[in-house]
Amino acid sequence: MSVLEVSDLTVRFGRGSTQITAVDAVSFSLRAGQTVALVGESGSGKSTVVRAMSQLVRPAAGQIVLDDTRAGRRGAALRAYRRRVQPIFQDPYASLNPMHTVRHHLARPLHLAREHLRGQELDKAVLEMLRAVNLTPAEEIAAKHPHELSGGQRQRVAIARALATRPDVLLADEPVSMLDVSIRLEILNLLDRLKREHNLALLYVTHDLATARHFSAEIMVMYRGEIVERGPADDVILHPAHPYTQLLAAAAPDPARPRVSAAAARAARQQARIGKPAERREAVLDAGCRFRSRCSRAMTKCQVRPPDLEAAVGHLARCWLYDAAAGNESAESRRASA
Amino acid sequence: MSAPAGAGDVVLRAEHLSVSYAARRPVRAVRDVSLELRRGEVLGIVGESGCGKSTLAYALARLLRPPAELTEGTVTFCGKDGPRVELTALAGEELRRYRSTRIAMVFQSAMNALNPVTSIAHQFRDIFTAHDTGMDRSAMDARTGDLLEMVGIDRGRLRSFAHELSGGMRQRVIIAMALALDPEVVIMDEPTTALDVVVQQEILDEIERLREALGFSIIFITHDLSLLLEISDTLAVMYAGKVVEYAPTEQVAAAPAHPYTLGLLRSFPDMRGERRELRGIPGTPPDLSEQIAGCAFAARCGYSVEACRTTSPPLLPLPGRFGGGVAVAGWNAACHLHNPDLCPGGPPPELSGAAAGRPDRPAAVANGLVSEGTAAGDSSGGFQ
Repeated sequence: MSVLEVSDLTVRFGRGSTQITAVDAVSFSLRAGQTVALVGESGSGKSTVVRAMSQLVRPAAGQIVLDDTRAGRRGAALRAYRRRVQPIFQDPYASLNPMHTVRHHLARPLHLAREHLRGQELDKAVLEMLRAVNLTPAEEIAAKHPHELSGGQRQRVAIARALATRPDVLLADEPVSMLDVSIRLEILNLLDRLKREHNLALLYVTHDLATARHFSAEIMVMYRGEIVERGPADDVILHPAHPYTQLLAAAAPDPARPRVSAAAARAARQQARIGKPAERREAVLDAGCRFRSRCSRAMTKCQVRPPDLEAAVGHLARCWLYDAAAGNESAESRRASA
Repeated sequence: MSAPAGAGDVVLRAEHLSVSYAARRPVRAVRDVSLELRRGEVLGIVGESGCGKSTLAYALARLLRPPAELTEGTVTFCGKDGPRVELTALAGEELRRYRSTRIAMVFQSAMNALNPVTSIAHQFRDIFTAHDTGMDRSAMDARTGDLLEMVGIDRGRLRSFAHELSGGMRQRVIIAMALALDPEVVIMDEPTTALDVVVQQEILDEIERLREALGFSIIFITHDLSLLLEISDTLAVMYAGKVVEYAPTEQVAAAPAHPYTLGLLRSFPDMRGERRELRGIPGTPPDLSEQIAGCAFAARCGYSVEACRTTSPPLLPLPGRFGGGVAVAGWNAACHLHNPDLCPGGPPPELSGAAAGRPDRPAAVANGLVSEGTAAGDSSGGFQ
């Protein structure tokens, strides 16, 4: 059963000649009890997808369907949608109001979502929420202001706040990238546990491939507003199909890699870059495949935007390399060579 | 304390540095830190936010400003040509001559470190003028062009402003600025933290290439241990203002001696390896304005013994420690588990160096940290 269905979501900013398409006809669905990761570099449009799904920006085209009902755009329908689809933002230092206590941050959404809650009952519910995200002793934490909490504790408050309206869908936009490495896993484990306990559909937006693989069933890779690759998490990370995903996977620091081989890989990269100024490498083109200016395997054909092609069963890549009709690299030959 | 064995002679030595931030209750951000940087070496300093690593960087470069105050210790610089100079004894004009020319700094957040209202060329001219290089304007711009090309930027960018450059390009400009006066030591404070992985890798490659070509030494400060495992020769792990482990990077990665280092190594999911349960390090670091009795990590440590709560463990060499099958000189750790008097049974296998089956794979180390403290119970059975 699918909870949230996004189809052909398109978001544009600006107008006229300076208009940019931040999200270009993106489609996917989120299911109850499942985590889908959305990965990509900054500027790829990941956060804009979340903002559009939270109805914080208005899409130029496309629709969002929640349990067979089109998401409401205004009034009571919008409020009902927002209760069920809750975002968690990247920066817990900015997403909490410094003037209010933790109790206030949780009491407001609890009261709005369950209007019968008042007084002692409301207080009890606040403490319950805090315990659910392992913020103990709850009584003490509830009385504190955000500046008295650590980054990890603040993000737990933000998660509790998102859960207060009993949502079906959580949109976690880089929930741990502002936090210390040592506490990231605890927050991700917490989200994972809450997802299982409440049968939530979870969208995990991140630039970190390793945690994307460990905490999600499916991964979608975004590049310049498009989803260029999608498939089961292990397939996408262990056998990346799109050259962009391959680049991302190769660039991630891998603590398990011996230092000698890391140095050898570095020397090879430095060799390959000689004579290519950094600027050209970072530039992009707009027509055709958007990655082709950076792609080591670009062909003439790439001047035409590729469709989603099957790299393996259930594993799609928007890349001409997987054009079976043209007799290009099939999934089997790619697997064999990998 | 003996320093990890390195190739060159010592270029920068810090002895017993302590830094406090003046407040109603002073915050002791750096507590008795001693380090050595050798010529041509990359020394990595890793720790959580608030552990004092940036404060240490500022202390080494003599850039501390009130309310921060160096309360104790010395920093000695031993240049290629010239006598040893105690930087901590210098002031005013004498000190200024060392900054940028001998010790340069690359600051955190490339996005904000450039002046938004003057051109790149103008900002380089400031550096050359401030340090009396005696160059005329065209010579300065020519040198700036060379520096930009050295870091992979077209010299046509001379007239650009910061907002016209991408994050990666800005970081390259900052690095070029640090190298402008040909320093012997470059201190980098989180130089790639705000960048994407692909750009981050390019910048790291660039730093490594420049270091090989120009021969400067680097102190690289970050919270991301996985970066340091790839680029540093020696690793200093900081916790609550102190260095808790100090040893050659490769050996530490294979067989850490301190429980905190072990916890940090286990905070990274292995991208390509088997999926396993991951914990991170439960709990939060102590408040540095409080007096800490015993080991600062004891409350979060699954291995702590009675002595950990009462006596602060000193940073001591671990003689005869093995890493990757050979004895490693200059391995230091501040942990009672390695003190036979306090812990007669010796450290558990995952900290003794004995459990490192494959020296290149920290992930192969057995078991998880025992969870304690406020954030316990997020253990996850199965993912997805």
